[in-house]
Amino acid sequence: MGGFFSSIFSSLFGTREMRILILGLDGAGKTTILYRLQVGEVVTTIPTIGFNVETVTYKNLKFQVWDLGGQTSIRPYWRCYYSNTDAVIYVVDSCDRDRIGISKSELVAMLEEEELRKAILVVFANKQDMEQAMTPSEMANSLGLPALKDRKWQIFKTSATKGTGLDEAMEWLVETLKSRQ
Amino acid sequence: MFAKLKKKIAEETAVAQRPGGATRIPRSVSKESVASMGADSGDDFASDGSSSREDLSSQLLRRNEQIRKLEARLSDYAEQVRNLQKIKEKLEIALEKHQDSSMRKFQEQNETFQANRAKMAEGLALALARKDQEWSEKVDQLEKEKKFLTAQLQEMKNQSLNLFQRRDEMDELEGFQQQELSKVKHMLLKKEESLGKMEQELEARTRELSRTQEELMTSNQMSSDLSQKLEELQRYYSALEEQRDHVTASKTGAENKVTALEQKEQELQALIQQLSIDLQKVTAETQEKEKRITHLQEKVASLEKRLEQNLSGEEHVQELLKEKTLAEQNLVDTRQQLLAARSSQAKAIDNLETRVKELEQSLQASEEKLKQSSDVVAAQEAQIRELATADQERSRAQQQVLALEQQCTERVQALEAQLTALERVRTATQTAAEWEVRELKQENAALKESKNESEHSLQRHQLELKKLKEEWSQREIVSVAMAQALEEVRKQREEFQQQAANLTAIIDEKEQSLQEKTEVILQKEQEILQLKEGHDCALLQARQLRTELEALQGLRAAESEAATTREDLQRLPGQEQGMVLSSSEPHVAPRARQDPVYQLPAAEGMPNGEMGAMDPRQLQKEKQDLEQQLLEKNKTIKQMQQRMLELRKTLQKELKIKPENELFEVREKPGPEMSNLAPSVTNNADLADAREINFEYLKHVVLKFMSCRESEAFHLIKAVSVLLNFSQEEENMLKETLEYKMSWFGSKPAPKGSIRPSISNPRIPWS
Repeated sequence: MGGFFSSIFSSLFGTREMRILILGLDGAGKTTILYRLQVGEVVTTIPTIGFNVETVTYKNLKFQVWDLGGQTSIRPYWRCYYSNTDAVIYVVDSCDRDRIGISKSELVAMLEEEELRKAILVVFANKQDMEQAMTPSEMANSLGLPALKDRKWQIFKTSATKGTGLDEAMEWLVETLKSRQ
Repeated sequence: MFAKLKKKIAEETAVAQRPGGATRIPRSVSKESVASMGADSGDDFASDGSSSREDLSSQLLRRNEQIRKLEARLSDYAEQVRNLQKIKEKLEIALEKHQDSSMRKFQEQNETFQANRAKMAEGLALALARKDQEWSEKVDQLEKEKKFLTAQLQEMKNQSLNLFQRRDEMDELEGFQQQELSKVKHMLLKKEESLGKMEQELEARTRELSRTQEELMTSNQMSSDLSQKLEELQRYYSALEEQRDHVTASKTGAENKVTALEQKEQELQALIQQLSIDLQKVTAETQEKEKRITHLQEKVASLEKRLEQNLSGEEHVQELLKEKTLAEQNLVDTRQQLLAARSSQAKAIDNLETRVKELEQSLQASEEKLKQSSDVVAAQEAQIRELATADQERSRAQQQVLALEQQCTERVQALEAQLTALERVRTATQTAAEWEVRELKQENAALKESKNESEHSLQRHQLELKKLKEEWSQREIVSVAMAQALEEVRKQREEFQQQAANLTAIIDEKEQSLQEKTEVILQKEQEILQLKEGHDCALLQARQLRTELEALQGLRAAESEAATTREDLQRLPGQEQGMVLSSSEPHVAPRARQDPVYQLPAAEGMPNGEMGAMDPRQLQKEKQDLEQQLLEKNKTIKQMQQRMLELRKTLQKELKIKPENELFEVREKPGPEMSNLAPSVTNNADLADAREINFEYLKHVVLKFMSCRESEAFHLIKAVSVLLNFSQEEENMLKETLEYKMSWFGSKPAPKGSIRPSISNPRIPWS
């Protein structure tokens, strides 16, 4: 009853907050990206034990962005956050060639979740400012993105510290979310 | 109901097998995670069934025993069923494989092709649209510019027309000006001519004047000559008068002389008479003297006789002789004197007579002279008379001259007056002419100014014209360039169109190939259909067998359960191990896993039979459920296999690259090595085992859950409930509470759901 009314009210008053998860292996730059998106500054981060959640407004769209810790021990808890997710920002360290396989398997496993069936996937090929960074196409191939079906996805090369590529990615995300509605 | 039962059984067995919870059968919500754990088919039921475990445990034990018994009896049937199922499965596998592969291929191809086609078509359409838009924009721009230019051209034309009109006007003005100028010039010329005439006249007059002046001069000269002559004549006259005076004086002198002479003559006559008297007297005296001389001679002769007589009387005679000689000498002297006097007298008479004669002569001469002078005087008087006449003439001439001079002066004055008048007229005309000229000059200047202005304006207009022409030319150049660009773009477009045509050709080809493939696929589908038919037949057979089985299950129901369940449970780990071993072969593994799946419904069937009549519909439902489960599991198995392959690859890589990473992996997966075969995919890993490690995580999540907004907290319920191992009801209660908090309406959810299970359900303790 209450839920019904609240849903009516939420549909009447303003748009629903979009729920976005930022996922990725530890040290990929998820927290930096979150705060770069929220306050537009580079913050010094410590490894996230748990998660960070912030409300980010971009182009009149409100996003509830969840940055979940990517350490191996807490990766299993990701799935506790999957429900009602509109989009997943999957952050990959472009320089971490060794762990891209792990990243891929984590991504694939995540995408198989039923709760994320409708979620849009945005892959951030982060740390592109580094010299030995892989190219987005290279990364897309090593993450097995071309094989994805029934999934709206896009890869962007970003640098959270430099702030490059984030706007384009958010732009795409906003457009895609708007067009999906 | 049965599901719950089964869950109970599974849990029980799990508890029994792995005491302490360290190696607990993993609980999970998602089916993949269940599948990831391996062949433990009964595990998925354990997740939702925690509420009524305690209640049913005893029943379960019983039923398990029954099932065991029944299973022993059913083994034969099961064998048969298994054989049939094996056949069916083989068929299914073949079918699925074929279907999967073909479908996948087809889908992939189709998708890639469609994606490519869509991309290309989109790209091309976009490019074309963009180009079209650009062209149209360009064309629009060009047209605008053209319009603008034509407008400008028209303006220019108008301006040039205006210009020409102005030029014509100017020409007209210039013509007028020139006409006026020529008129003015003509007038000026006329005036100048008249001036020239006047000047000529003036010159003639001046010449006349000069002539008259010359005449005047000559007349003046003449008059001066005449005056000179007059003066001369006057002088002459004065001289003559002087002469006359002189002559008159001389005449008077001469008359005086004559008178003097006459006086002298008279005197002389008187003198002559005297002298004649004197001569007579002297003759008389001479006679007397002579008488005396004779007497004295007689006395001298008497004395001499005496002297001769007296000689001694001689001294008295010698003195009387001496006195006689002295008286004789005296007589000679007196005689001589007389003679001298007589001669002097004669002489004087002669002189006088000569003188008289001379005087007479001179008189005569003077008379002559007088006559002459009188003649001369007469002549001179005549001359004077002449001179007087001349003087008169002269005066007359002078009068004439004066008259002439007067005339001349009059004429000169008249002429001068005329001259002045003429000069005045001339100056007037000159001033008039100058004024006119000035006016004309002013007009001219004005006209020149206007001309200059118009020329300036003309120049300006010409400049503008030039500028505009330049602009026009530039625009033309630009438009030409644009046209070129347009042409290029058109070419590009044509090229693009060609490319598009090529692409469409390719697409057609692809479509053809697609059609071929679809045909192939259709064939395959037909094959599949055939296979399905076979499958259906097999299913029918299976169903028949199952009905038989169910019938038998009714018989089996009475048999004991506990032993069989034990056996079954013991068998299941064995199978699991078998699964672990055989999971390297991708398509064999699902089969191995399917066995217990089918075993379990078989096992479940027994209590049903025992309990009473079983609804075939329910059974069918169950079967369908089981089939669905089978399908899902097959899927999960496939996924697992893929994952495994990938993991193996990564493992191999890691092993190759970093042998020490093994340690990390080992450390990383204390649970997974037990629970599943994909060690590094941790986000699917069982959470129950990691609880100890993530106290930090739990703390953080709970802290956040309590501190954050309700909308965020709502999403955290699951995490919290997973971390704290909440039951479904607890989780639901939490959700309801939060919803109640978030919403404006509704009633507070009853706490019944939260309390009762917590009491009835003994929690799996935290280890």
